[in-house]
Amino acid sequence: MDRRTFIKSAGVATALAPVLIRQAFAAKEPSLLAVAEGVDYPAITRKAINAIGGMKRFVKAGDVVVVKPNMGWDRSVEQAANTHPLVVRAIVEECLSAGAKKVKVFDYTCNDARRCYVNSGIESALKGMKRVECKQIEPERFKKVPLNGQFLKEWELYDEALLANVFINVPIAKHHGLSKLTLGLKNIMGIMGGNRGFIHRNLDTALADVNSYVRSHLTVIDATRILTAHGPQGGSLADVKRLDKVIASADIVAADAFATTLFGMKPPDIPATLSAYRRGLGEMNLDRIRIVRV
Amino acid sequence: MALFVMTEYRGQDQINVAVNSFFRSNPLVLAGYLLAVKSWTWLLLPAVLMAVATLLLGRFFCGWICPLGTLLDLMRFKKKSTTAFRLPLGNFKFWLLTALLTASFFNINLVGLLDPIAILLRALTFFFYPLLGLGVREGWVELYHLIGEKRDSLAPAYGLLRDHLLPFRNTIYPLALFSTLILSGIVFLERVETRAWCRHLCPLGTLLGWLGMFSPFRRVPAELCADCGQCRELCPSLFEQEAPAVGECFRCLSCERGCPDSRVSFRPVLQLKNAGPLIPERRVLLGGIATGLLLVVPARFRFPESETRLLRPPGVRDENEFLKKCVRCGECMKVCLKNALYPATWQSGIEGFYTPVVIPRLGYCEYNCTLCGQVCPTAAIPDLSVENKQCEVLGKAVFDKNHCLPFAKKIDCIVCEEHCPIPDKAIRSREVMMTGPDGAERIVKEPYVVEDICNGCGICENVCPLETKAGIQVFAVRNRTPIVRSTARKLLPDKSEYPEYDTR
Repeated sequence: MDRRTFIKSAGVATALAPVLIRQAFAAKEPSLLAVAEGVDYPAITRKAINAIGGMKRFVKAGDVVVVKPNMGWDRSVEQAANTHPLVVRAIVEECLSAGAKKVKVFDYTCNDARRCYVNSGIESALKGMKRVECKQIEPERFKKVPLNGQFLKEWELYDEALLANVFINVPIAKHHGLSKLTLGLKNIMGIMGGNRGFIHRNLDTALADVNSYVRSHLTVIDATRILTAHGPQGGSLADVKRLDKVIASADIVAADAFATTLFGMKPPDIPATLSAYRRGLGEMNLDRIRIVRV
Repeated sequence: MALFVMTEYRGQDQINVAVNSFFRSNPLVLAGYLLAVKSWTWLLLPAVLMAVATLLLGRFFCGWICPLGTLLDLMRFKKKSTTAFRLPLGNFKFWLLTALLTASFFNINLVGLLDPIAILLRALTFFFYPLLGLGVREGWVELYHLIGEKRDSLAPAYGLLRDHLLPFRNTIYPLALFSTLILSGIVFLERVETRAWCRHLCPLGTLLGWLGMFSPFRRVPAELCADCGQCRELCPSLFEQEAPAVGECFRCLSCERGCPDSRVSFRPVLQLKNAGPLIPERRVLLGGIATGLLLVVPARFRFPESETRLLRPPGVRDENEFLKKCVRCGECMKVCLKNALYPATWQSGIEGFYTPVVIPRLGYCEYNCTLCGQVCPTAAIPDLSVENKQCEVLGKAVFDKNHCLPFAKKIDCIVCEEHCPIPDKAIRSREVMMTGPDGAERIVKEPYVVEDICNGCGICENVCPLETKAGIQVFAVRNRTPIVRSTARKLLPDKSEYPEYDTR
């Protein structure tokens, strides 16, 4: 072997290394995902979380936990624009019993925050719970952070999400005009400040940028009812489909990938999922995800 | 004041009590409304009762109820500033009142501009309340910059303040300075002469005073006693006058309480003597009518281009009828959930001064909100059900293809489609093959407006991610026929599946 071939092979090895390592890693421990089905939403939420190792796997005693549902719209629970309050409450309760010091629930809403917090049902579902905070966004708490992403070099993110020990992403599965579906990866927009509409011009890359900076330790997708058209707001019951399912995974891309199939689409059909997978944020190939149905 | 604070959305869809009760029981608003609209509304029944009460009891409103009068009484720093100087205004107030009412009859209802409660409320809404919010909130934010997360230990105290007292967000209004100057001017007059505004200018006071002349509930004795004259010191109104007129008496009972010999009493007197002349002076009356007529012409002028963006609150279908009914009290602007409403300056001419206008770039009309209609004292903005309000048309959205990203820059955006609240989407998009500025072909989602179902709520213009000028704008339309809700699509179930979270 002369120097030239050595450099060539070294270059190839370096280029391939991340892919090889990732595949080796994936082969060792395939992404675990649980789907629970039933009409008792708090129960299926717990079942799904327990099937992937229970909340204690994610939340340690004394942790500050952020539970980030989607409650961006002034719509009722039936209209399927916001995460189901029962799912959110079940997760919060699990966090508390795992020993969380404080659980913070918030979203940077699109409609008036007061109306969204009330009409999503989430504020009243959490009312009176100790060590639980359901505060509206305070704009001064957005901090400019260097994302050094491919599209976003820096952006303002909510400090409570940045400072938390555990970040639990709790989207509702629904249709979206631009990104086709909005799931866990897109739900991260709720911790973004600034001119959020700006990222629409390169949405999937931007979402991968933010999701690589703020990792969701646990993603629980609410598919108790899904919005199949006219998302992300909906408004008509004709667009709502009841599935009675909750999906949980530590791998946000896997969770999104599986949820995509509920809409009759394939994971790579969703640009955000594809970008995140290519970025190494998780697994989107369903045959490489261990799916547990409970 | 408590009513003022309660005119704000605090998580409930209905507002029970609001400052509008002051306007609904305001005979001046009633007079202007009746003359201009020339029809009756039950909303103003309290004003009729107030007028009847004034006929019986006299001008008691000024001494006992009027919030501006109360403010003036509280602001009187020093003891009465004697009678050394009097505003040489004579019958000016009658002239003013006649002019306003005449203009009302000719469809220019401007009584709200000079109504004392409206003056007070506007200064509070546009200046003092935002000032309070700004002060406290800025302080709270600065605290965060100083001590960061540790601030959370104080959060409950701030939360209490925020939830019950502060405005929800800081809004800066046009005309804030002007409104405050008017109020300050009135307060300043207090230094010159006690209750100067009330006695020489206030059109509501003038009207009430005129009604109060017929009141049989009088002060006895009617004149000052020759040996005392203490009443002159105590009285805020009547005995400041050269010739005491029954119409000027506030029935505040200060003289009764302050009389050293308990000589003064208020009781029914059956004779209408001493009431002063029924009509002030013929030339004043005629002058007022003439002024009112003259006011009608210049007040009407509008620049047509300023009308293109003259968006009225939801449910206002006819501009002229709206102008006749609107009191210009500013309540809708205060209550507006997204602070979409601002006082008009010159957009709708002098006659439209202070009337509410939607500025979508600053705030949009929230789809499920009906607050402005609920607080409007005269139903200039009708009180509609949520379902009906959602169909009311403010204007129509139009794309500006020179600015809108998919057209101008050939890149994806459609934030407007995402936010459009109409269940069937009044903004939709189609995939179009476009040639980008770099010459490469690509598929871009191109948005378009479905005009038939656009209600002009303005959320699209509000959220458009372009800086400064939006790529989509709402323009006023004359035909504001409500949009048709497609009957095939059910929006909410008859009975909620989750009654514990049902906030309907």
